[in-house]
Amino acid sequence: MSDLPEYKFDRVFDAPVAMVWKAWTDPDLLARWYGPGVETIIHEFDLRPGGVWLNEMKWGDKSMCSKVAFLEVVPEQKMVWHHYGSTDSDWNSASNPMMPNWPPVLLTTVTFVEADGKTTVSLSQIPFDASAEEIECFADAMAGMSKGWGAGYKILDEMFAELQA
Amino acid sequence: MEQTGYIQQQANLDTVFAALADPTRRAILIQLTMGEAAVNDIAAPFEISQPAVSRHLKVLERAGLIERDIDKQRRPARLKAQDMAAAVAWLTEFRAFWDNSFDQLDAVLLQMKQTPDDT
Repeated sequence: MSDLPEYKFDRVFDAPVAMVWKAWTDPDLLARWYGPGVETIIHEFDLRPGGVWLNEMKWGDKSMCSKVAFLEVVPEQKMVWHHYGSTDSDWNSASNPMMPNWPPVLLTTVTFVEADGKTTVSLSQIPFDASAEEIECFADAMAGMSKGWGAGYKILDEMFAELQA
Repeated sequence: MEQTGYIQQQANLDTVFAALADPTRRAILIQLTMGEAAVNDIAAPFEISQPAVSRHLKVLERAGLIERDIDKQRRPARLKAQDMAAAVAWLTEFRAFWDNSFDQLDAVLLQMKQTPDDT
Protein backbone atom coordinates (compact mmCIF):
# COMPACT_ATOMS: atom_id res chain seq x y z
CA MET A 1 0.00 0.00 0.00
CA SER A 2 3.04 2.23 0.31
CA ASP A 3 3.27 2.99 -3.40
CA LEU A 4 -0.15 4.56 -3.81
CA PRO A 5 -0.18 7.64 -6.05
CA GLU A 6 -0.21 10.87 -4.08
CA TYR A 7 -1.31 14.39 -4.87
CA LYS A 8 0.80 16.97 -3.02
CA PHE A 9 0.33 20.69 -2.88
CA ASP A 10 2.11 23.20 -0.64
CA ARG A 11 1.71 26.92 -0.16
CA VAL A 12 3.35 29.43 2.17
CA PHE A 13 0.97 32.02 3.62
CA ASP A 14 2.16 35.33 4.96
CA ALA A 15 0.31 34.94 8.26
CA PRO A 16 0.87 33.25 11.62
CA VAL A 17 -0.48 29.74 12.03
CA ALA A 18 -3.19 30.84 14.49
CA MET A 19 -4.71 33.04 11.81
CA VAL A 20 -4.39 30.42 9.06
CA TRP A 21 -5.96 27.80 11.33
CA LYS A 22 -8.83 30.14 12.05
CA ALA A 23 -9.42 30.73 8.35
CA TRP A 24 -9.61 26.94 7.91
CA THR A 25 -11.82 26.17 10.88
CA ASP A 26 -14.30 29.04 11.09
CA PRO A 27 -17.01 27.99 8.61
CA ASP A 28 -17.82 31.61 7.71
CA LEU A 29 -14.20 32.26 6.79
CA LEU A 30 -13.74 28.85 5.19
CA ALA A 31 -16.72 29.42 2.89
CA ARG A 32 -15.12 32.63 1.67
CA TRP A 33 -12.08 30.95 0.16
CA TYR A 34 -12.80 27.22 -0.32
CA GLY A 35 -13.91 26.54 -3.89
CA PRO A 36 -12.66 28.82 -6.64
CA GLY A 37 -15.19 31.02 -8.39
CA VAL A 38 -18.20 29.35 -6.80
CA GLU A 39 -20.62 30.08 -4.00
CA THR A 40 -19.63 27.77 -1.15
CA ILE A 41 -22.33 26.76 1.31
CA ILE A 42 -21.21 24.86 4.39
CA HIS A 43 -24.18 22.83 5.63
CA GLU A 44 -22.34 21.30 8.57
CA PHE A 45 -18.90 21.75 10.03
CA ASP A 46 -18.05 19.62 13.03
CA LEU A 47 -14.30 19.70 13.48
CA ARG A 48 -13.49 16.63 15.54
CA PRO A 49 -12.70 12.99 14.80
CA GLY A 50 -15.99 11.46 13.65
CA GLY A 51 -17.41 14.87 12.73
CA VAL A 52 -18.27 15.89 9.17
CA TRP A 53 -18.00 18.93 6.92
CA LEU A 54 -20.84 18.95 4.41
CA ASN A 55 -20.02 21.26 1.56
CA GLU A 56 -22.03 22.51 -1.38
CA MET A 57 -20.53 24.51 -4.23
CA LYS A 58 -22.93 26.41 -6.45
CA TRP A 59 -22.34 28.14 -9.72
CA GLY A 60 -25.22 29.31 -11.88
CA ASP A 61 -27.95 26.71 -11.55
CA LYS A 62 -25.45 23.92 -10.93
CA SER A 63 -24.47 22.52 -7.60
CA MET A 64 -21.85 20.02 -6.46
CA CYS A 65 -21.86 18.40 -3.05
CA SER A 66 -18.96 16.82 -1.22
CA LYS A 67 -18.32 15.47 2.24
CA VAL A 68 -15.34 15.49 4.55
CA ALA A 69 -15.22 13.00 7.44
CA PHE A 70 -12.65 14.12 9.97
CA LEU A 71 -10.29 11.46 11.33
CA GLU A 72 -7.75 13.49 13.24
CA VAL A 73 -7.61 17.11 14.35
CA VAL A 74 -4.54 18.62 16.04
CA PRO A 75 -5.16 22.35 16.46
CA GLU A 76 -2.74 24.56 14.51
CA GLN A 77 -0.83 21.49 13.34
CA LYS A 78 -2.79 18.93 11.41
CA MET A 79 -6.11 17.75 10.00
CA VAL A 80 -6.72 14.33 8.49
CA TRP A 81 -9.93 13.45 6.73
CA HIS A 82 -11.63 11.18 4.23
CA HIS A 83 -12.69 13.35 1.32
CA TYR A 84 -15.80 12.19 -0.51
CA GLY A 85 -15.32 14.26 -3.65
CA SER A 86 -18.83 13.71 -5.02
CA THR A 87 -21.96 13.02 -3.06
CA ASP A 88 -25.66 13.06 -3.85
CA SER A 89 -27.89 15.63 -2.18
CA ASP A 90 -28.25 13.29 0.83
CA TRP A 91 -24.45 13.30 1.27
CA ASN A 92 -24.03 9.68 0.18
CA SER A 93 -20.85 9.00 -1.77
CA ALA A 94 -21.45 9.02 -5.52
CA SER A 95 -19.19 8.40 -8.48
CA ASN A 96 -17.72 11.40 -10.19
CA PRO A 97 -20.06 12.38 -13.04
CA MET A 98 -17.20 13.72 -15.12
CA MET A 99 -14.73 10.94 -14.44
CA PRO A 100 -16.38 7.65 -13.43
CA ASN A 101 -13.14 5.97 -12.34
CA TRP A 102 -11.96 8.78 -10.10
CA PRO A 103 -11.39 7.39 -6.56
CA PRO A 104 -14.54 8.26 -4.54
CA VAL A 105 -12.58 8.73 -1.31
CA LEU A 106 -9.23 10.47 -0.91
CA LEU A 107 -7.34 10.26 2.38
CA THR A 108 -6.42 13.90 2.88
CA THR A 109 -3.78 15.22 5.26
CA VAL A 110 -3.23 18.92 5.80
CA THR A 111 -0.34 20.12 7.96
CA PHE A 112 0.37 23.63 9.22
CA VAL A 113 3.92 24.74 10.12
CA GLU A 114 4.81 28.26 11.16
CA ALA A 115 8.27 29.79 10.69
CA ASP A 116 9.19 33.47 10.90
CA GLY A 117 5.56 34.52 11.03
CA LYS A 118 4.71 32.65 7.83
CA THR A 119 2.75 29.42 7.66
CA THR A 120 3.38 26.55 5.29
CA VAL A 121 0.26 24.55 4.51
CA SER A 122 0.97 21.14 3.00
CA LEU A 123 -1.79 19.11 1.44
CA SER A 124 -1.58 15.42 0.58
CA GLN A 125 -4.28 13.27 -1.03
CA ILE A 126 -4.09 9.55 -1.73
CA PRO A 127 -6.84 7.17 -2.85
CA PHE A 128 -8.51 5.39 0.05
CA ASP A 129 -10.02 1.93 -0.27
CA ALA A 130 -9.93 2.34 -4.04
CA SER A 131 -10.18 -0.30 -6.77
CA ALA A 132 -7.21 -1.02 -9.05
CA GLU A 133 -8.92 0.93 -11.84
CA GLU A 134 -9.52 3.92 -9.58
CA ILE A 135 -5.92 3.90 -8.37
CA GLU A 136 -4.73 3.73 -11.97
CA CYS A 137 -6.97 6.61 -12.98
CA PHE A 138 -5.62 8.73 -10.12
CA ALA A 139 -2.03 7.66 -10.88
CA ASP A 140 -2.46 8.67 -14.53
CA ALA A 141 -3.74 12.05 -13.48
CA MET A 142 -0.83 12.59 -11.07
CA ALA A 143 1.75 11.42 -13.61
CA GLY A 144 0.30 13.81 -16.15
CA MET A 145 0.49 16.71 -13.73
CA SER A 146 4.11 16.08 -12.82
CA LYS A 147 5.02 15.78 -16.49
CA GLY A 148 3.63 19.22 -17.09
CA TRP A 149 0.23 18.84 -18.54
CA GLY A 150 0.15 22.61 -18.67
CA ALA A 151 0.93 22.41 -22.37
CA GLY A 152 -1.68 19.71 -22.82
CA TYR A 153 -4.35 21.79 -21.17
CA LYS A 154 -3.44 24.79 -23.25
CA ILE A 155 -3.87 22.76 -26.39
CA LEU A 156 -7.25 21.56 -25.18
CA ASP A 157 -8.33 25.08 -24.32
CA GLU A 158 -7.47 26.17 -27.83
CA MET A 159 -9.25 23.19 -29.28
CA PHE A 160 -12.43 23.76 -27.30
CA ALA A 161 -12.34 27.44 -28.19
CA GLU A 162 -12.12 26.50 -31.85
CA LEU A 163 -14.90 23.95 -31.44
CA GLN A 164 -17.15 26.58 -29.93
CA ALA A 165 -16.29 29.24 -32.49
CA MET B 1 -26.57 9.56 -13.64
CA GLU B 2 -25.60 7.87 -16.87
CA GLN B 3 -22.01 6.76 -16.92
CA THR B 4 -20.10 7.04 -20.11
CA GLY B 5 -17.67 4.19 -19.64
CA TYR B 6 -15.14 6.53 -21.14
CA ILE B 7 -12.30 5.54 -18.85
CA GLN B 8 -12.56 1.85 -19.62
CA GLN B 9 -11.73 2.62 -23.20
CA GLN B 10 -9.39 5.45 -22.37
CA ALA B 11 -7.42 4.83 -19.21
CA ASN B 12 -4.27 6.66 -20.16
CA LEU B 13 -4.70 10.39 -20.47
CA ASP B 14 -1.13 10.76 -21.66
CA THR B 15 -2.30 9.17 -24.89
CA VAL B 16 -4.93 11.88 -25.22
CA PHE B 17 -2.46 14.70 -24.82
CA ALA B 18 0.07 13.03 -27.13
CA ALA B 19 -2.67 12.70 -29.73
CA LEU B 20 -3.66 16.34 -29.36
CA ALA B 21 -0.08 17.60 -29.58
CA ASP B 22 -0.18 17.34 -33.37
CA PRO B 23 -1.83 20.23 -35.25
CA THR B 24 -3.03 18.02 -38.10
CA ARG B 25 -4.81 15.74 -35.66
CA ARG B 26 -6.43 18.72 -33.96
CA ALA B 27 -7.58 19.96 -37.34
CA ILE B 28 -9.02 16.52 -38.10
CA LEU B 29 -10.96 16.59 -34.84
CA ILE B 30 -12.34 19.99 -35.62
CA GLN B 31 -13.32 18.81 -39.08
CA LEU B 32 -15.14 15.87 -37.49
CA THR B 33 -17.25 18.22 -35.38
CA MET B 34 -19.13 18.89 -38.60
CA GLY B 35 -20.08 15.24 -38.86
CA GLU B 36 -18.61 11.84 -39.58
CA ALA B 37 -16.29 11.51 -42.53
CA ALA B 38 -14.35 8.84 -44.40
CA VAL B 39 -10.59 8.93 -44.89
CA ASN B 40 -10.65 10.48 -48.35
CA ASP B 41 -13.05 13.22 -47.18
CA ILE B 42 -10.76 13.93 -44.25
CA ALA B 43 -7.62 13.96 -46.41
CA ALA B 44 -9.07 16.42 -48.93
CA PRO B 45 -8.36 19.71 -47.08
CA PHE B 46 -4.85 18.62 -46.06
CA GLU B 47 -1.77 18.31 -48.17
CA ILE B 48 -1.15 14.81 -46.93
CA SER B 49 -1.75 11.34 -48.26
CA GLN B 50 -4.62 9.09 -47.29
CA PRO B 51 -2.24 6.63 -45.56
CA ALA B 52 -0.91 9.53 -43.47
CA VAL B 53 -4.48 10.47 -42.55
CA SER B 54 -5.14 6.84 -41.67
CA ARG B 55 -2.17 6.88 -39.30
CA HIS B 56 -3.45 10.04 -37.64
CA LEU B 57 -6.90 8.49 -37.29
CA LYS B 58 -5.36 5.45 -35.67
CA VAL B 59 -3.67 7.65 -33.04
CA LEU B 60 -6.91 9.53 -32.37
CA GLU B 61 -8.84 6.28 -32.14
CA ARG B 62 -6.35 4.78 -29.68
CA ALA B 63 -6.66 7.91 -27.57
CA GLY B 64 -10.43 7.44 -27.47
CA LEU B 65 -11.07 10.74 -29.20
CA ILE B 66 -12.80 9.27 -32.24
CA GLU B 67 -14.52 6.06 -33.15
CA ARG B 68 -14.81 4.33 -36.49
CA ASP B 69 -17.29 1.88 -37.92
CA ILE B 70 -15.64 -1.47 -38.48
CA ASP B 71 -18.45 -3.01 -40.48
CA LYS B 72 -18.54 -0.42 -43.24
CA GLN B 73 -15.96 -0.38 -45.98
CA ARG B 74 -15.47 3.38 -45.83
CA ARG B 75 -14.87 3.15 -42.08
CA PRO B 76 -16.17 6.66 -41.42
CA ALA B 77 -14.67 8.31 -38.36
CA ARG B 78 -16.65 10.37 -35.90
CA LEU B 79 -15.87 12.43 -32.88
CA LYS B 80 -16.05 10.88 -29.44
CA ALA B 81 -14.53 13.84 -27.66
CA GLN B 82 -17.56 14.63 -25.52
CA ASP B 83 -16.53 12.13 -22.86
CA MET B 84 -12.91 13.17 -23.11
CA ALA B 85 -13.91 16.77 -22.64
CA ALA B 86 -15.73 15.87 -19.43
CA ALA B 87 -12.74 13.97 -18.06
CA VAL B 88 -10.30 16.70 -18.97
CA ALA B 89 -12.61 19.33 -17.51
CA TRP B 90 -12.61 17.41 -14.25
CA LEU B 91 -8.81 17.06 -14.18
CA THR B 92 -8.38 20.74 -14.94
CA GLU B 93 -10.76 21.49 -12.09
CA PHE B 94 -8.93 19.16 -9.70
CA ARG B 95 -5.57 20.62 -10.67
CA ALA B 96 -6.70 24.22 -10.20
CA PHE B 97 -8.89 23.68 -7.16
CA TRP B 98 -6.43 24.13 -4.31
CA ASP B 99 -4.25 26.58 -6.17
CA ASN B 100 -7.17 28.90 -6.85
CA SER B 101 -8.72 28.31 -3.43
CA PHE B 102 -5.42 29.19 -1.78
CA ASP B 103 -5.31 32.42 -3.78
CA GLN B 104 -8.65 33.23 -2.20
CA LEU B 105 -7.36 32.17 1.23
CA ASP B 106 -4.51 34.64 0.77
CA ALA B 107 -7.08 37.37 0.24
CA VAL B 108 -9.08 36.29 3.30
CA LEU B 109 -5.94 36.30 5.46
CA LEU B 110 -5.11 39.79 4.24
CA GLN B 111 -8.59 40.97 5.22
CA MET B 112 -8.24 39.30 8.62
CA LYS B 113 -5.00 41.16 9.19
CA GLN B 114 -6.51 44.47 8.17
CA THR B 115 -9.70 44.12 10.19
CA PRO B 116 -8.86 41.95 13.20
CA ASP B 117 -12.14 42.84 14.96
CA ASP B 118 -14.24 41.74 12.04
CA THR B 119 -12.99 38.18 12.18
